[in-house]
Amino acid sequence: MSGERKKLLELKKLKKYFPVRRGVNIKAVEDVTFSIYEGEKFGVVGESGCGKSTLGRVILQLYPQTSGACIYYGRTRDEMCPKYLAKEVARLPAYQKAAVDFYQKSVGVEKKADVLRGEIEALSALGSDKEVKKEAKLQKKLSELEFQARELRKDASRQLREGSRTVGSLILCKDLPKIQALFDQAQKATAAAASAMKKFREYEKQYEEGRVDGAPDSGLKAKMDAARAEADRLVETSRNYRLQAFRDYRGKDVLPITERTQDPAYQAKLDGNYETGINLGKLTGDEMRELRREMQMIFQDPAASLDPRQSVGKSIEEVFVINTDFPAEVRREKTMDLLEKVGLKREHYYSYPNALSGGQKQRVGIARAIALDTKFVVLDESVSALDVSVQAQILQLLNELSAEKHLTYFFITHDLGVVKHFCDRILVMYLGNACELADSKALFHTPLHPYTESLLASVPRLKVGQEHSTESVLEGDVPSAMTPPSGCPFHTRCARCMDICSREKPLMKEREPGHFVACHLYDKEKGAPRS
Amino acid sequence: MGKKVLEVKDLVTTFRIDKKEYEVLRGVSFDIEENETLCMVGESGCGKSVTTLSIMDLLPGNGRVVSGSIKLNGQELTTMSPRERNAVRGKQMGMIFQEPMTALNPLLTIGRQMTEELILHRNMSKKEAYDTAVGYLEKVGIANPADRMKQFPFQLSGGLRQRIMIAMVMAVKPSLLIADEPTTALDVTIQKQVLVLLNKLKKDVSTGVLFITHDLGVVAEIADRVVILYSGRKVEEGSIGAIFSKPLHPYTIGLMRAVPNVDEDSFDIQPIPGTFPNITEEIGGCRFHPRCPYATDRCRAEVPAELEVEPGHLVCCHKVAEEYGKEGHR
Repeated sequence: MSGERKKLLELKKLKKYFPVRRGVNIKAVEDVTFSIYEGEKFGVVGESGCGKSTLGRVILQLYPQTSGACIYYGRTRDEMCPKYLAKEVARLPAYQKAAVDFYQKSVGVEKKADVLRGEIEALSALGSDKEVKKEAKLQKKLSELEFQARELRKDASRQLREGSRTVGSLILCKDLPKIQALFDQAQKATAAAASAMKKFREYEKQYEEGRVDGAPDSGLKAKMDAARAEADRLVETSRNYRLQAFRDYRGKDVLPITERTQDPAYQAKLDGNYETGINLGKLTGDEMRELRREMQMIFQDPAASLDPRQSVGKSIEEVFVINTDFPAEVRREKTMDLLEKVGLKREHYYSYPNALSGGQKQRVGIARAIALDTKFVVLDESVSALDVSVQAQILQLLNELSAEKHLTYFFITHDLGVVKHFCDRILVMYLGNACELADSKALFHTPLHPYTESLLASVPRLKVGQEHSTESVLEGDVPSAMTPPSGCPFHTRCARCMDICSREKPLMKEREPGHFVACHLYDKEKGAPRS
Repeated sequence: MGKKVLEVKDLVTTFRIDKKEYEVLRGVSFDIEENETLCMVGESGCGKSVTTLSIMDLLPGNGRVVSGSIKLNGQELTTMSPRERNAVRGKQMGMIFQEPMTALNPLLTIGRQMTEELILHRNMSKKEAYDTAVGYLEKVGIANPADRMKQFPFQLSGGLRQRIMIAMVMAVKPSLLIADEPTTALDVTIQKQVLVLLNKLKKDVSTGVLFITHDLGVVAEIADRVVILYSGRKVEEGSIGAIFSKPLHPYTIGLMRAVPNVDEDSFDIQPIPGTFPNITEEIGGCRFHPRCPYATDRCRAEVPAELEVEPGHLVCCHKVAEEYGKEGHR
């Protein structure tokens, strides 16, 4: 099953900081990496302030990301041909040069550090009071230099990583201009393919319109096929250029940019960075707007997301006015269809939001989100403000729509009961960090992260019989995201905190198939076994 | 049987909207004993908050109690003068609101706000009041209470603010505590902390608690008895065990089914069809009949009477009445 699933979105080390004042940031989202598959209902849970809403908005590019990448596979590069691709190709030598510069600098710093090390050694042999003092001073200087060297090296590999997004490990090659030329040609072919594809879509639309009217135009059909073939040919050409580049240059004449560049494993890692999807963060405003037809959002408060002075019908129809060139009567008919699809009546076209109940308003919000050819919807606490009986109605509607239109949901909520029964996979977040990611069944049956466990334990149960509990599960409050705790962000409240937890941040690792967790308890080589 | 702290009988409250009177509460009766938590459950607009406001006499200008009686420790409240009512409010009954930030004065320190009521209601000296306040802050699990006394509400987190509200109300030792959705605005982990605290304090102070919520999970956690309201009328009342193991009214059953349960592996979403009626809507007979799958002509015409199917388990439904026979107590 998992093999067949097609990725729709991939987040790579996504980060979002909000600056408060100089040098102080609210670290809302910290290095989050995961993928969302097509047709999936992906849930995110966590307490308020854990960054779940920010994450949803960063994915939709409503907030620009601080670093990392958010890659969308809903459309191919060839179809869309975003402008940033050509720019990135042009920037390749700059990346390479910057990497070389950073590395050279780090080597220089290392040399200085070596000299210092020698001095310290000489001093420590003497060992009088004065020397000890001096030694401490030098020691401090040394650690500063070491830190500097490390940072420079990180900068170097960051530059290489940026470059590898476009050309994989070819960023290390000496013959970069030639590679660039090949990629440029590939890029041009892709652009041509994209315009051919556009032509094809136009013909197709005309043809379909003709067919509906009962007179299919065979000339148009021929034109359509020609455009399609042209597009396919160009896509193939551009692919060939890229393949050629890899065939001719991969692993040859590798520059010794850093000490790792000769290592085949590192090269493979860079190859892995090669992007086939669309990097949302690099799109221009117009391109992103084009993609927004496929990526929508439904908010928590349905009243706040509707214009109180615009009738329901008008506010849904506006979506078509802005994004399509349908004539007025088609727009109206489509709006009516949508109203019925989300369980409202045609009469509601003329109502104003103040005449609707909370559940009905949320239905209007849903209608607006699915009006165009939507593929991906971010639902930010979309059912939290509703009463239980209405909440169940809306969940049912969302379920039906996802099955019918093959939608992918990114469902943000704090209600664990809802997320368990509505979502396929669930991500647990704490203070901007991802704690655990698993199938919803696995997460509720065998939670691995202590935070997930205590979160589950604090949900009020629909079970009576036992004495009312007088024992709290989790003490204290969530720490501030401005000054998050060192190491694991949860260690200040964790019942099973170990020494290492305050020092080192745990990495997200796959502990069981499909079950990821970021916790030191499961590091066999480091931590104590789980009690 | 403990002492009855609060007795509410046939309470009718109306609101005037556009020069017309609309009944929001249509004859609600219930009572609370000492040391007991009564949970009032219902969807928004069912009248649960209006019930608390009627008891506290805090209704907005266009609302008034038309008939019925509210007795606190045997004293009739509805016939009292505003001045007498003022003396009761805050001293014999305290209230915790959903949003603690709006209930606390942002311009005064926690200490000032806490000692003020102690001086007023319990005739303490400043020193005594300060010590008592610190003691109660400690009781609700606040670390460094002396420091907190100097702080302002905005310096505290939501969970802390709600704890302080609870400490403030409990410090006066009221015989009735009304909590109107006190945990709705809090995160689950903090909610758990507050619920645990309320359970603990209730035992210490021996207060009757009227707890308003729409979250059935919270009900299971805290209630001794449950009253379910629908559109201004009580539809079912019973002990927590009876309501959860044997809900009888179709609305109660629907409500239970609509909640996604964390402990269950599969959940088939079964919403109650239709929408909650507006108070301005005229619905004859049982207010629930337009959404009820079992509605008959009788339901449309006649308001169902209260029937005690088992001791302490009251249901207002024609269908249940038929099944159990007129006399109840099968």
